[in-house]
Order: sequence, then structure tokens, then C-alpha cells
Amino acid sequence: MNDLLRRLLATRQGALGVVLLVLVAFCCIAGPWLAPYDAEQIDFLGRFAAPGTRHLLGADQLGRDVLSRLLTGARTTVPAALGATLLGTLAGAVAGTLSAYLGGHWDEAIMRTIDAVMALPGLLLALLVANTLGAGGLGAVLAVAVAFAPGMARITRSVALAVRRQEYVSAAIARGESGTYIVLREMLPNVVAPVIVETTIRVAFAVMLFATLSFLGLGAQPPAPEWGLMVSEGRRYLHQAPWLVVVPGVAIAITAIGFNLLGDGLRDALNPRDER
Amino acid sequence: MTPLLEIRDYTLDFQTRAGPFRALDGVSLAVAPGEVLGLVGESGSGKTTLAMAVMRHLAGNARERGGSIRFDGRELIGIAPAEVRALRGRRIGMVFQNPATSLNPTLTLGRQITEVLERHRGLSPRAAATEAVDWLGRVELRNPAALMRRDPHQLSGGEKQRVVIAATFAVHPDLILFDEPTTALDVITGARILELFRRLRAETGVTGLYISHDLAVVSRIADRVAVLRHGRLLEQAPAATLFHAPQNDYTRRLIASVPKPEHRLVQDTPGAEKILEADHLGVAYWRPRLFGRQIFVGVHDVTLDVRAGEILGVVGESGSGKSTIARALTGLAHATGEIRLDGALVGRMGRAYRRAVQIIFQHPDSSLNPRQRIGEILARPLRLYGGSPREIPDLLAQVHLPAEYAHRWPHQLSGGEKQRVAIARAFAARPRLVICDEITAALDVSVQAAVIELLLDLRRQHGTAYLFITHDLNLVRQIAHRLAVMQHGELVDLLGIDDLGSGRENAYTRALMEASPAPVG
Repeated sequence: MNDLLRRLLATRQGALGVVLLVLVAFCCIAGPWLAPYDAEQIDFLGRFAAPGTRHLLGADQLGRDVLSRLLTGARTTVPAALGATLLGTLAGAVAGTLSAYLGGHWDEAIMRTIDAVMALPGLLLALLVANTLGAGGLGAVLAVAVAFAPGMARITRSVALAVRRQEYVSAAIARGESGTYIVLREMLPNVVAPVIVETTIRVAFAVMLFATLSFLGLGAQPPAPEWGLMVSEGRRYLHQAPWLVVVPGVAIAITAIGFNLLGDGLRDALNPRDER
Repeated sequence: MTPLLEIRDYTLDFQTRAGPFRALDGVSLAVAPGEVLGLVGESGSGKTTLAMAVMRHLAGNARERGGSIRFDGRELIGIAPAEVRALRGRRIGMVFQNPATSLNPTLTLGRQITEVLERHRGLSPRAAATEAVDWLGRVELRNPAALMRRDPHQLSGGEKQRVVIAATFAVHPDLILFDEPTTALDVITGARILELFRRLRAETGVTGLYISHDLAVVSRIADRVAVLRHGRLLEQAPAATLFHAPQNDYTRRLIASVPKPEHRLVQDTPGAEKILEADHLGVAYWRPRLFGRQIFVGVHDVTLDVRAGEILGVVGESGSGKSTIARALTGLAHATGEIRLDGALVGRMGRAYRRAVQIIFQHPDSSLNPRQRIGEILARPLRLYGGSPREIPDLLAQVHLPAEYAHRWPHQLSGGEKQRVAIARAFAARPRLVICDEITAALDVSVQAAVIELLLDLRRQHGTAYLFITHDLNLVRQIAHRLAVMQHGELVDLLGIDDLGSGRENAYTRALMEASPAPVG
């Protein structure tokens, strides 16, 4: 593990990604204590206050401090997005690898089912799941995971098909290994590189998908300081107070870039062939 | 006579993350007009790099550190790209190793040849087409006019290589670089390509630089031979002199490790007891069609047996079904017919069967999982077949590898070392029969000799029988007790090694024997 971290920090992208994400993680942990105001404290006299000494990043339509909301909201936004992506990725990766390993009729059955699911737009699918499970945290997380899984399954399968033809997989079959062992231990570690890159890109999508769900009333509920919700609420006042969109937007972007860079770094660090 | 190609003190580095790597170190050689120089070396010796340096097609991280390459009296290093293009194809041709990838799959065969004729000889499309048909005939392809409209994938490997040769010779280049042109082909096809090359050379008087790792092939084709190792030229001499009186130590070792069929490495006779019997074994592959399926026969009605401690060689051209037998016997392909272990019918392959019958694959690079350390790879069969991970150092010692290798990754090992790990993995099960599927095909000849020695050593210790699949007849004649000959998915001959050349063998077996390159020395 230490070795992995050392290799990760040795790459420029990896190091920068780790720095950005440590920053984000710090906000998630210590955010509410760092916030200068209460995230939900309304101040009618200070509505739309521009960024300045009083409100470092300005105030919103109800006079709530944007910086405080950002710091407090990190805790609800980032872990949920990350959790949903990881859940979706894992399910998709296992399904794709299994499909490639089984081949034949099973492959057809799994992949055609996935095609059918993919025919529904991701947002619609997420809405369906969130609606069924009821509004709120867990429902939204599962909804995003379900929306992500089919795409991941496709990507993983194409890589896994190449891995399936490798002789070490044949060797494992000839040795009499169980299907579970072959999929999880022989094949899955060899398909992770593209999966990790795809996962890290999707964290950013997940944040926005959560925002959309919140906007439609199925994710986080106002007045929660969730970042996506902040963007969609601030949208109406874009001309009047652009910081209401820009600030949480930049926060989402930094998180997304952090995960992307981490993904690039991890891809190199996880490759045992890469000598550094 | 002034040489056509003269390389003097040529040195080249590759810039790598670990620092510069010297690929060629002060190489000097000359090829006279009309001469064929054989360039022999093991993998990584720099032979292909040298050809690419002559072609002026070096990788981006290559740094030339001095020396000169003169072609027809003109210095090639530092010439303008336009001049390079005028030389390539037109005056210096090249035939690559893998015909499957050196033809453009989207162009017809005719176009592949007419294109070079139009570009390099300025022929009109009509004249080029006539000339191309003529050349396809000259490389002994049947029905050349019809071939012009066909696509590369419709041809076999040998036929494709003939098309490549036709396209190269058709522009009348002064020099042709051959980079292992027969390595990707099987023995019989390779022998015919060599035959063709000899004939074309006599007709055109072309000058050649023939690169190969195979001493036997080079001894048949080259006038003079140069030996390259780690980027240094060790020795160059006329072919006969080099093979009969090598000066350099390495050359001597290289020649010694070429398998010589008369030199038997196994003297004992195997037991009479049959361990494994295959009765009317058949494997069919199929591809779904709109209606029903299209069936390909992998192997058909093969009956053979392996006795205790026996080495049964399985030979044949590529696509003859040799490897399919291995796949059927290890449960990797669904087979019809019966398999018996110690006389008992094997229904579903259970742990006892899998433990008794182990397999080693051809490619050391892909047979070890790159994400598992050597220790982890070896621990797996031990756990499955009732051993303990404490045996790993013993296993490694058995295949002459140090115990620290357990902590290494597969990519940190050389090809030969990886194959030793694969052997250790098979022997972890304490098998009675090991199926070796072309296990030395991807290895250099000196490494091959060491791996074979190891296998025989392990056999002496454990009494293991081998089903040894190979296309190298010279090698299999050194070690096998009996020989099974496959052609088009059928077993055409099964005979004792002493019966070879006695007149009792099948006509195809005889053809196979005659095609395999005569060993040097």
C-alpha cells in the first residue's frame, strides 16, 4: 500500500490529484467547523451580497453565506457521488467480466439485457429508481449507480474479452479453478486500468446527476447545501449574482479534476510494468 | 569490388527512462553486390534495429552516436526525408516477419503490387497490372489473374508472404532486407519460401541482408554470416567456415545449442503401462450463422495413448490440430470421444484428472498473470492440489531459479525464466503427464536448449510423461520415444522414433522430414 502511494506521488498527475482530493476530503471532514456562518442562517439585509470582506464568496438570494454552504455541503455531495460511482462501477465491471468469461449464450443474454437498459436515458433510469425508492440520500445513490452500471459493463467486457484469450486464464481453467476465482482474481485485476479512468471521469457526472435529481425534487431537498442543488438554485439569479453558480461550479470542477488526475496516476501506479 | 552496403562503426542508443540503452555498438559490416549476408542473433541483439537504421526508420527515442551507413557510395545518415523516400522501396526493399500484418487488409492483392509499381517505376495502371500478374505467377501463386481482385485475408500465411515478396522484387531494388521472413510460417511453408527466394535471387542477382535467429535457415541461404550479440558484431565469416570452425565462444555455444536429430538426449525406454488414452477424440468449433451454425473441424477421430514416463511428440503444420489435442485433453475445448486415465473412463474432469494432467503453454508472456507475483502464481496450484505455500522455494529450486523470485513480478523476468515458472507451476501438482504446447517456440535457441534440459531433468526425478507438441522436427527427434503426425485435423501417422526413415512412415511424414531445415555443423 505504501508502495502504491509512493508510485502514485511519483507521477505529476497523481501528485496533483492527491493534493486536490486531500483538500476536498479536508472540507468534507472539517467543513462545518471551518464555516464562518451557519449554512442555513438567513440574512435578509445581506441578500445577493457580492464577495467581499463580510461574505468571502458572497451571499445567496436568502443572504446565506456561500462559503459556509460550500464547506458544509461538501460532506453531502462528495461522498455520495463517489459512493454511487464506485457502486455502479463495481457492479458494471463484474457483470462485464463475467459476461466475457462465460461467453456464448450467457454473454448474449447479459449483454442484450444491458443494451436494453442502456436504451433508456441514464437520467430517466435514475428518476425511475429514485422515484421507486423514495426521495432522499440512499435512493439517489442507488439511482446513480444503476444508471452508471451498464456503460461500465460494456467497457469492461471489451477489455475482458482480450484478457479471456490470455494463456493464464486458460491455465486457470485447466487447473480446475472456480469461475468466481477466475473472474475476480485472474481477470478483474487485468481490466482495471480503463475502468479506473472511466470511473474517475464519472465522479464528476455523478455530482451533476445528483444535482439534477435534487432539482427535480428526488435528491437532496432544499435548504440542504448540496453543491449541485446550489448550482440549480443559483441558476435563476445568474445575471444578478453570478457567484451563486460559479462558486459551487468551480468546486465541482476541482473535485472532478482531482479525481481525473488521480485516475491517470492510479492507472500508471497500478501497472506493475511501469518501473518508477 | 566496392560494397553496395557498408556500415562502419555504427553506434546507436535508445533513450529510456532508466538512461541510454546501447542497442548497437560499433557495428561494421559490408555487403558486396549480388551477395547475401546472413545476420544472426538472439532476441534483443539489435538485428532488426540495424535493418531499421539502414531503412532510416528509427524509433523516436533512438540516438545515433556516430559511425556511417553508406549505400552505393552515398552516406545515409542525415540525408533529407525526400531522399529517404526515393530510396525506400525503390532501391532498398524490405520483407517483414509477419505477412499477416505487412499487407494492408483493405486493399486487394493486385493493388498492393500495382501501387508500388506505379509509385516506384512510374508505370501506367494498365502496364502495372500486367506486370503484377506476371510477378504473382513468378512467385508460384496459382491463378494470378484471379488473385489480383482478392483480399489478403483470403490467403494463407505462406501465400501472403509470397505476395509481399512479389511486391518487393517487382520494383527491382538493389538491396532487400529480409527480417525473419519465415519465422511466422510453419516448416513446410517456410522451406518453400526459402526455395522461392533462392530461385528469385538466381534470376535477379539481388543483394540481400537476411536477418534471422535460426542458424539452420541462414546456413541455407547466406554466402556470409555475421553474428550479433547485445549490439556487438562478434564474428563474420563465409557460411561454411562459420558453421564448421566458429572462432567466437558465443558462436560456438549458439551452434552447439541448435538441436541435432542424430544426437539423442533420451536413451531409456518408457514403461508399457498406458497412463492416458484418447479414443476417437474429436473437436469441432462452430460459428453461429443466420440459419444453423458453420462448423469447423479442429481434430477428427484421433486415437492415441501416452505411456508411463514416455515422451510422445506431436508434430504437424500450423492449423493441423496439434494444439486442439492439448485443449481437448485439458478440458479447454469440448471434445467428443473418450479419454481414459489409467484405464478408467474420464467423465467430467475432476480434481484427480486435472492434477495428473498438467499443461504448459507456448507464450511465456501471456501464461503468467501480470498482476500476480511469482509466489502467488505458484501458491495457487499448491493450494488446489493439497500442497503448502512453504514448498515454493523448493519448486523454484527445482527449475533452477533463486527463492527470491517469489517476490518478483512476471515482467521482471526474461522469457526463459518465465517459462521456468510456468514449468514449476505445472510440476506443483506433481503430475504424471505434462502437455507441452510449443513451449520453446517463442524462446531463443540457447534458452530452448536449457529449457529442454530442465524438462528432461525433471522427468528423471519424477518419472513424468510428456506430450510434446512442436513444429520443430529436429528438436522432437532428439527427445521423443514416439511421434504422432497431424495433418488437417487428423492423425496421419503414429510411429516409434526408430521407424523414422525406415520406409514405414507415411508419405506426409516423409515430406515433413525433408522440409525441416538441415541442422548446421
